[in-house]
Amino acid sequence: MAEVEETLRRIQSQKGVQGIVIVNSEGIPIKTTLDNSSTVQYAGLIHQLVMKARSTVRDIDPQNDLTFLRIRSKKNEIMIAPDKDYFLIVIQNPSD
Amino acid sequence: MFIFIIICVCRRGAVRLGMSKLTQVDFVPREMVSYSKETQTPTEAMTQADQKDTPKELTEEEKLQVLHSEEFLSFFERGSRIVERVLAEQVDVCFDYSGRDLEDKEGDLQAGAKLVVNRQFADERWTKNRVVTCLDWSPQYPELLVASYNNNEDAPHEPDGVALVWNMKYKKGTPEYIFHCQSEVMSAGFAKFHPNLVVGGTYSGQIVLWDNRSNKRTPVQRTPLSAAAHTHPVYCVNVVGTQNANNLISISTDGKMCSWSLDMLSQPQDSLELVFKQSKAVAVTSMAFPLADVNNFVVGSEDGSVYTACRHGSKAGITEVFEGHHGPVTGLSCHSAGGPVDFSHLFISSSFDWTVKLWSTKSTRPLYSFEDCCDYVYDAMWSPTHPALFACVDLSGRLDLWNLNNDTEVPTASVSVEGSPALNRVRWSHSGKEIATGDSEGQVRVYDVGEQICVPKADEWTRFVRTLAEINENRDEAEELANA
Repeated sequence: MAEVEETLRRIQSQKGVQGIVIVNSEGIPIKTTLDNSSTVQYAGLIHQLVMKARSTVRDIDPQNDLTFLRIRSKKNEIMIAPDKDYFLIVIQNPSD
Repeated sequence: MFIFIIICVCRRGAVRLGMSKLTQVDFVPREMVSYSKETQTPTEAMTQADQKDTPKELTEEEKLQVLHSEEFLSFFERGSRIVERVLAEQVDVCFDYSGRDLEDKEGDLQAGAKLVVNRQFADERWTKNRVVTCLDWSPQYPELLVASYNNNEDAPHEPDGVALVWNMKYKKGTPEYIFHCQSEVMSAGFAKFHPNLVVGGTYSGQIVLWDNRSNKRTPVQRTPLSAAAHTHPVYCVNVVGTQNANNLISISTDGKMCSWSLDMLSQPQDSLELVFKQSKAVAVTSMAFPLADVNNFVVGSEDGSVYTACRHGSKAGITEVFEGHHGPVTGLSCHSAGGPVDFSHLFISSSFDWTVKLWSTKSTRPLYSFEDCCDYVYDAMWSPTHPALFACVDLSGRLDLWNLNNDTEVPTASVSVEGSPALNRVRWSHSGKEIATGDSEGQVRVYDVGEQICVPKADEWTRFVRTLAEINENRDEAEELANA
């Protein structure tokens, strides 16, 4: 448990990282470094997006699966590491 | 309900059909009983809809349970490893070398890139609860910055006056040198021709000298607390002159100006009372020497006026008064960017009246008044390299950069410090690419200024000549209108 905290702190201290959210398979945030309203917003929206992305990948090839999702926008980058039951979302501003 | 009865009579020949008599019958309408085809037990579809409307939350215990579970830990280990690798890669795949990207970002993003905080300096023991009173960059080592602080009311046993030398070059967050003294330090600076000395002017009127060669944190030399020296707070200290002939000039708020030799601080070499019209002593809050001038200087006072004065000669003392501000003058800066055209007659002053005014020593009325701030402006300084650029800071935590060649109505770049502490001092580094600001919470922040703002192009000087000519014209027109 302490290792989880330590790892989160290490990621948070990386250059440009704005926030980290861990969401479970139902879209409920488990752990977050952002404020409540942003967390809920990110959790809900990204959960839907990951579901869509995963189903897209599997529809094209049923034996394939989604391993990583990166959304690069003008202002920042959202990185999602999905799993069967959870996903880890990190928001980074790469120009920092 | 009406029941129509049509009698169809099968008769040969013409059939005559007619309406039969209506018989009213009172049957209650038949109820159509329908059974709902939906299931009564909740299914997947229904709960999904619910969740969209009201996101369920897990209790703290549930969250803790999840965090301890085996599958979460294995997911997290894998996920965090990948994410850390991705974060470490600094490649921006979308970078456009043609610069078309940057044109779009002229708005917000440009403003962000114009002034970025590079370092923030504070120390738990020495700067907490103290206010930054003065900042100065070292002329010999461009990475050194001295900041002076006043007293910490919460810690009466700690020394009242502190001056810390911060180093920009290394990543460590602790000061290079810690100096302190018994009275609050109101102004401080590196001695220009003595790289090891830091001069401080204090609230008690004493001028102190610290030396980084000695191991002491207390001053190595102090001026006497006597009527020959200063007895009022010293807000301005400055070393002027050349390598061989230099003096430390200090002015206190009772209008007394003393010049000292750094070798001997036991008595001033020269002293002068700055009085206006033989009677009114000038309460000096700020002082500035024009570039390469050791005799003439400008001072700003609490009564809102700026005065020019000279040190030597038959007319030593206050020469002229420049009236224009409606509140005490907080900062003065003389134009110092050397270039093809000489603008050393220009200076700017900041004041409690929310404005920064541009003056020329050739005229006692202000050339222009910059009125964009909405609060006391605490300090202003010309850029040492760009002829039309200056910075100012105010009470609401805003740092503004004005480029007069671009726009004289609004600042070219502006940044607000989060938490809105009052910014007390602003100092450009000697390279003109960095700005240091000190605030009321003891924090010193160093900002990197974007290249497109701080680096002057070759024609900046000629453009500034034109800008000045326009400003002068506008001022003359405004006066004619006012007088007419």
